[in-house]
Amino acid sequence: MAGHSDSNSSEKKSSEAMNDVPTFSAENLQNNMKVIYYSRTFMSIIGGVLAGILGFTGFMGFVLYFLVMAITSIGLIAKAKFSVHAYFDSWNRIILDGFMGGLMSFVLFWTFAYDIVHIF
Amino acid sequence: MGLGFIIGVFGVLILSHAAYSTIQYRGLLKIMEEEFSGPPMNVVLELLLGFVFCIWAALTVPGKFLSIHPDSEENRIVSLSANLDFMIFNHRAKAFPLEIDMKLKH
Repeated sequence: MAGHSDSNSSEKKSSEAMNDVPTFSAENLQNNMKVIYYSRTFMSIIGGVLAGILGFTGFMGFVLYFLVMAITSIGLIAKAKFSVHAYFDSWNRIILDGFMGGLMSFVLFWTFAYDIVHIF
Repeated sequence: MGLGFIIGVFGVLILSHAAYSTIQYRGLLKIMEEEFSGPPMNVVLELLLGFVFCIWAALTVPGKFLSIHPDSEENRIVSLSANLDFMIFNHRAKAFPLEIDMKLKH
């Protein structure tokens, strides 16, 4: 009886270990991350140009950045056909990655477009 | 150079035209000696259109997502050859005893 329960628990343990080991193709994950970075960088540049032409200054521009990034996230999730776990190992990859790097190019193109349209 | 790329170029062109219209609008305001409160309606519409085009380009140009599951259709390592239908097992060599059977007997 004891032996039986023992083997049962060990079986359970081994199956749990099988579940814990992440089994996914790292190459394809890297390819997906590359696609995400590409999209985010391009969208932050476009968002910066948008904010500059609209003449936003200060806090409003950052609100626009958040809005653009949210729209991009929704678009990426739609591109993954709403089954995020088939293409990424966690939600953070599709929602947060590339956010800070995009902010830098956003500010650059925001000031660039604002200067061209409103100052010169 | 797919359809998405052309749409993206078109979106950027629309955005630059919107920027040019805003510059002209500001020149007009300077002549009329009024303050700038916001871009005119046609510029806002143009910006929205260009933005939608650019989203389209940003989502289609970088490429497709690939499945990371090892057991999905695309990632199969083991695959069967395509000519399985042409394999014949019912031929004259069936009359000879199998090698494995010979080994078992002796």
